[in-house]
Amino acid sequence: MLEARDLTIKYGERVAVANVSLTLAPGQISAIIGPNGAGKSTFLQALNGQLGPTPGVVLLDGQPLEKLNRRIIGRRIAVVAQEAELRFPITVLEFVLGGRFAWAASASWGWETEHDIDVASAVLHETELFELSGRLMNELSGGERQRAVLARALATEAVVLLLDEPTANLDISHQSTLLALVRGRCDNHGASALVVTHDINLAAQFADNVLLMKDGHTISSGRPEEVLTPGLLRDVFEVTVLVDAHPITGVPRVTPVHEAHRQV
Amino acid sequence: MGGQRDFLLSIHFTRKKIRDLGFWMCLGLTLILPFGCSRRESSTPQASQTFREVTDDAGRRVAVPFRIDRIISLAPNLTEIIYAIGAGDSLVGDTSYCDYPPAAKTVEKVGDTLHPSMEKIIALRPQLVVVSTASQLEVFTHQLETQNIAVFVTDPHDLEGVFLSINQLGTILDHDDQARQLVRQLRSRTAAVEAAVKTTQPVRVFYQLSAEPLYTAGRDAFVTDLIRRAGGLSVTADVSGAWPKYSAESALAARPEAIILPTGGSMGAGNATVAEPLQRSPAVEQGKVYRINDDHLVRPGPRAVDGLEEMARSLHPDAFKL
Amino acid sequence: MTTSESSHSRASTVYFGSSNRTTLRKTFIACAVLSGALLLVVILMSLVGSERLPAGASLCALLSFGRSQCTLTSDQFDILFQIRLPRILLAAAVGGSLATAGASYQALLRNPLAEPYLLGISNGAAVGTMIALVFFGATEWSRPLLAFVGALLATLAVYRLARGRAGATPERLVLAGVIVTTFLSSVIVFVTTLMDATRIRSFTFWLLGDLSGTSKNLLPVAIAIAVVGTVVLTANARSLNLLMLGERDAFDLGVEVGRVRIVVFLVASLLVGSSVAASGSVGYVGLVVPHLARLSLGSDNRLSIPAAALGGALFVIVADTAARTLIAPRELPVGAITALIGAPLFIYLLKRT
Repeated sequence: MLEARDLTIKYGERVAVANVSLTLAPGQISAIIGPNGAGKSTFLQALNGQLGPTPGVVLLDGQPLEKLNRRIIGRRIAVVAQEAELRFPITVLEFVLGGRFAWAASASWGWETEHDIDVASAVLHETELFELSGRLMNELSGGERQRAVLARALATEAVVLLLDEPTANLDISHQSTLLALVRGRCDNHGASALVVTHDINLAAQFADNVLLMKDGHTISSGRPEEVLTPGLLRDVFEVTVLVDAHPITGVPRVTPVHEAHRQV
Repeated sequence: MGGQRDFLLSIHFTRKKIRDLGFWMCLGLTLILPFGCSRRESSTPQASQTFREVTDDAGRRVAVPFRIDRIISLAPNLTEIIYAIGAGDSLVGDTSYCDYPPAAKTVEKVGDTLHPSMEKIIALRPQLVVVSTASQLEVFTHQLETQNIAVFVTDPHDLEGVFLSINQLGTILDHDDQARQLVRQLRSRTAAVEAAVKTTQPVRVFYQLSAEPLYTAGRDAFVTDLIRRAGGLSVTADVSGAWPKYSAESALAARPEAIILPTGGSMGAGNATVAEPLQRSPAVEQGKVYRINDDHLVRPGPRAVDGLEEMARSLHPDAFKL
Repeated sequence: MTTSESSHSRASTVYFGSSNRTTLRKTFIACAVLSGALLLVVILMSLVGSERLPAGASLCALLSFGRSQCTLTSDQFDILFQIRLPRILLAAAVGGSLATAGASYQALLRNPLAEPYLLGISNGAAVGTMIALVFFGATEWSRPLLAFVGALLATLAVYRLARGRAGATPERLVLAGVIVTTFLSSVIVFVTTLMDATRIRSFTFWLLGDLSGTSKNLLPVAIAIAVVGTVVLTANARSLNLLMLGERDAFDLGVEVGRVRIVVFLVASLLVGSSVAASGSVGYVGLVVPHLARLSLGSDNRLSIPAAALGGALFVIVADTAARTLIAPRELPVGAITALIGAPLFIYLLKRT
């Protein structure tokens, strides 16, 4: 379980995140939404120690992050960010096996064990990339590459998944598949996930818990029905929205009403 | 309406363009003109002086004033020759390497042999600059010519070439008699050496220019001729080039009977030890390692005969016992 | 286990052959082959030189490890064991060091073009060596030591210059490398002009790479550094595999990025420093050899780093043999040969990818 209390992150004078708290409970997906510059990605980066010690505290299973070494953190927290740089030829299997690094017996040497291969193989099946195991990463399409990034994160067997705009480059079919995988992990293995996204409806559909941020501050936090209200959304995004219930799933459906809409 | 405006604008811009063009052309002409003018001047001799035409070692026809009071030497060997024929007081500039005779050190320095200062040379207003290809200065002859300064190139490969350079400079500097006398003396000393070693067996010599990396004298080096005349046989006499970097194996396999180490002089204390591959050669085992002042062996000037004598006495001590 | 599960895992073991990833077995075989080739090349090139040696007798002497003279004259024996063999071993140490350093820089800096020469690190080592020669000429140890310091300072300069907010992108890195290289080149030219004419010639030769130095003391040191350096960098190969894909990613997956970076910088600078101090700047080895290794054996550093070390040794031995035999008995600087081979090869490699 990952808990952030009163996290504040400053770049010089500029405050990127101000006193934000969040608890990621097992089996739950939380989503962070907000306009550009709200501090969403910065907050996520702080959660696995990337930004160094900051005011406030981040607790992983009750222990402060600074006290834990990188390999322990690597085994428990996995990050799915935008695509990696792929300047060197590497196969999908090698890429996904990278996720097993934190489980290696020694600090940086060693070869992958049978168990590592089994985990990787299972994850490749889960993400429907098994047939592509031998292909080079840069031969894959954007969607397949993103799935590989997720596969690598899942291969770490981490209980906390941090996803930074994981669906940004995916078509709606792949968006759905990816989040379904995350949902599956949380439901079946008790993992917790945090998704930073621009897509409010995706958040509404998959998240148990939504955090609405603006200018580094928490504006509201709670279940999607509580947070995704026209009033709050207008304050934060400065856009008029219509919020109704999705006719099939019943989750909140947010539809913006643009001024310059097409005259029908 | 818009059409008329466009038309007037286009005329306005054209006028502006012409004015701009005119400005740049004038500026360009003022910059180019002086060079063009100087080019013309260099081809017609000045009315106040008379010139003679000589051919230098590079095959160039050079117009040299009859009376030369101001000459600059860009090579140590040429500086030595100028003093040796008694024309030292016409030397107004030389290089930082020109250290012999001692008077040469007091002359205004224009830089080293590789990068002399054009500005300094011009500021000294020489009538002639003498250059030796041994110092690789052909590059500068062109620059000096564009400044209306006559350049004379010498290219001595061997001792005969040195005698030629002495006579050439004697003619140019109007010291013919001194030059001829100097050449006579040097020739007779050379002949004496060659006569003394004529009946001896040539000694196989390795000339070590530097130990690490290993450099020696090749076919085109000036000193190779001196070695031959001194009764030696340079084991690297057939190697192409003047100062080749030499293979350690071949040095070892050559088994030279004598080793010459040019040292002292401008080289300072360097090159005083025999290179590693030669440590077990017959020369080292018999103690036949000779350290000779490098200025006597590398500068194609009057002291080359000193070097010749020193080498001959080292290689064939018995021939000079008398 | 149900039938479908077991056939699944069977299928997975068959499918995950060595073509998909680098295994210990694959690494072992590749390194064994390369080591064998290296040994063969060492022996063969010992038979070649500006002086002709009888091949049979030379082989016999070599295989007896110098214990028997095998009908060679004492001069020939000396040529073989005092001049040729040490030079070949030095070439191997220099080639291995430079290639390993190159492979590590490329992994750490995520740039296939990162090379000690292009990044100015070789120049930094050269400046260090020049300072040692001019001020501490007498002490032999001052050269590799100051070369190491010079290489390290150049590395830090490049790294600091290349670091922007987005991290060291390849473009910034190449630019930083160009700045550092050209600056240090001017320093070298400046110092060279201050030297007297006689030393300039020998120094220019050295700057292009010259393996003819006969210092007996430094050869074992150079070999030791090459071996130890390669081992240390290979030990960090798994971390480098992840760093190759991005610093953030590596960090997230558990790599101690800071520690690995320090190790690579220190060890690679040591490798470059020791090579340059022994033989001047031999360019292109750190660029071409790791490239070839990755192209043929994959990007996994656990294999490509040791492979680069062995391949680099091979490359420089062959290049140096050419340098000392093409215009025998004269010699060419080995850096000229590596550039002549390396530059077109690099262009070809660029076109292929």
